[in-house]
Amino acid sequence: MELLNDLISPIVLGTLLGGLYVVVALGLSLVFGVLKVINVAHGTLVIFGSYVAYAVASAWGIDPILWLLIGIPLFFFLGVLIEKYLLARAVSKSADAALIIAFGIALIIQNAAQIFWSPQSRSLLTDYSFNSFQVGDIYIPLVYILNFFAALIVMLVVRQFLKKTYMGQAITAASQNKGTAELMGINSKQVYQIAFGIAMAMAAIAGVFYGLTFPFNPVSGNALLIIAFGVVILGGLGSMAGTFIGGIIFGLSQTLGGYFFGPTGQLLVPFLMVLVVLTIRPQGLFGR
Amino acid sequence: MEMTPEVMLQVKNINVYYDKLGVLWDISLDVNKGEIVAIVGSNGAGKSTLLKSISGVLHPKEGSILFGDQDITNMDPYKIVGLGISQVPEGRQLFPDMTVYENLHIGSYNKNARLHAEENLAKVYKLFPILEERKKQLAKTLSGGQQQMVAVGRGLMANPKLMIIDEMSLGLSPLIVSELFHVLHEIKTQGITILLVEQNVCQTLDEADRAYVLETGHIVMSGNANELMDEEEVINAYFGE
Repeated sequence: MELLNDLISPIVLGTLLGGLYVVVALGLSLVFGVLKVINVAHGTLVIFGSYVAYAVASAWGIDPILWLLIGIPLFFFLGVLIEKYLLARAVSKSADAALIIAFGIALIIQNAAQIFWSPQSRSLLTDYSFNSFQVGDIYIPLVYILNFFAALIVMLVVRQFLKKTYMGQAITAASQNKGTAELMGINSKQVYQIAFGIAMAMAAIAGVFYGLTFPFNPVSGNALLIIAFGVVILGGLGSMAGTFIGGIIFGLSQTLGGYFFGPTGQLLVPFLMVLVVLTIRPQGLFGR
Repeated sequence: MEMTPEVMLQVKNINVYYDKLGVLWDISLDVNKGEIVAIVGSNGAGKSTLLKSISGVLHPKEGSILFGDQDITNMDPYKIVGLGISQVPEGRQLFPDMTVYENLHIGSYNKNARLHAEENLAKVYKLFPILEERKKQLAKTLSGGQQQMVAVGRGLMANPKLMIIDEMSLGLSPLIVSELFHVLHEIKTQGITILLVEQNVCQTLDEADRAYVLETGHIVMSGNANELMDEEEVINAYFGE
């Protein structure tokens, strides 16, 4: 009984934290599904989102979440430009070339971040950073709750967009069969740009919530990329429900791992989970 | 005297290459408004390459392709669809993890077709009632015949003036094939012109108004489908049936 009581806190926090990982992983999964490119810059783009929110907050005192009203369209547009001018030519030739370009983008951002903001860790600090709710015996930090709701909103909006709009259906169709999508009158170049734009907008959102939750430095994106990989592998590529469940499992095994095995267990346990899933069900829990 | 037919599609002396390998030489053909025209030929004759050239997936090195009075020789596929040429590709090529309804609906992606999406969907469900019953099913769970119905229906959703259908009968039972041909005639009476590409020579010639026989990248015969039927010996020589 005592153990069960102690477990409630890591279970609640892990689930809520999983929401953050869901938003990070969705962007990676979308780009892979449509462009067939492993966007190794995705984690760093998320951290770039954290830094931009940090810069805006320090310069003008704008709240990071409020900043997203501008940040989301801005990052979307930036994503369209990156796809159009950097990735597009490579994507049509070979996935390897696009991979290297993505790697280059990550390096440029990481080094630029070091120049502008130093290698030291930063955090997005707000008035509500240290607020928490008491439920029964446990305290839940407000930012963890925000993470989870942000994830739910992003999932719902993206799902409705993919299901209910012509452009969303075009993205879905192009991810399943690009050649035939073009025969349906779909401009695949445009679809690629919009898909990458959406992934960037998700990076802006994930960046803000990551920065509210954890300190970040110029290379934090690398660890985040690996986590996003883990989530996508757990859930199965191309399945939104899978990514959601994968994110929650990852968050849960991180907090439970920390509870049982101390700080070293925090990443060890989730990646053991990934390993187990890869062995038993290589296509992921919800994969096709 | 017959009235001069209105030419819908005009392929003029095209040469098509895959990189440096020539596949089609000096191909010319016309499709008139309201016709069912067939292109028949054995495997490897260049039928699919010809279709890819018309739909803009490949561009001819020489020659030109006109749709109405518009030059579409070097146009991108998605723009060509918008002009009113839709294609039902070989092997159905449905989006496997989308529902029947979603597969049909995405057919109406081009701007012109969106305006008519609802009426066209009603038409498709009238032609293939089974698709309405199965509209929520994933495309990959359908039988081959039903998948072909979705593919034809999806082509209709593009609100086409000309519908190109590639190897419709491939891998389907004769019963389903004649059902599909019956629907094609129905589609024709609705004012849509049809260009068929088939390996199945006899039945296709039976259903088409005119036909072109393609052999190793050249058109070797053309004319009234019935007349070509009478040349069966010649056809036999080409197809070894």
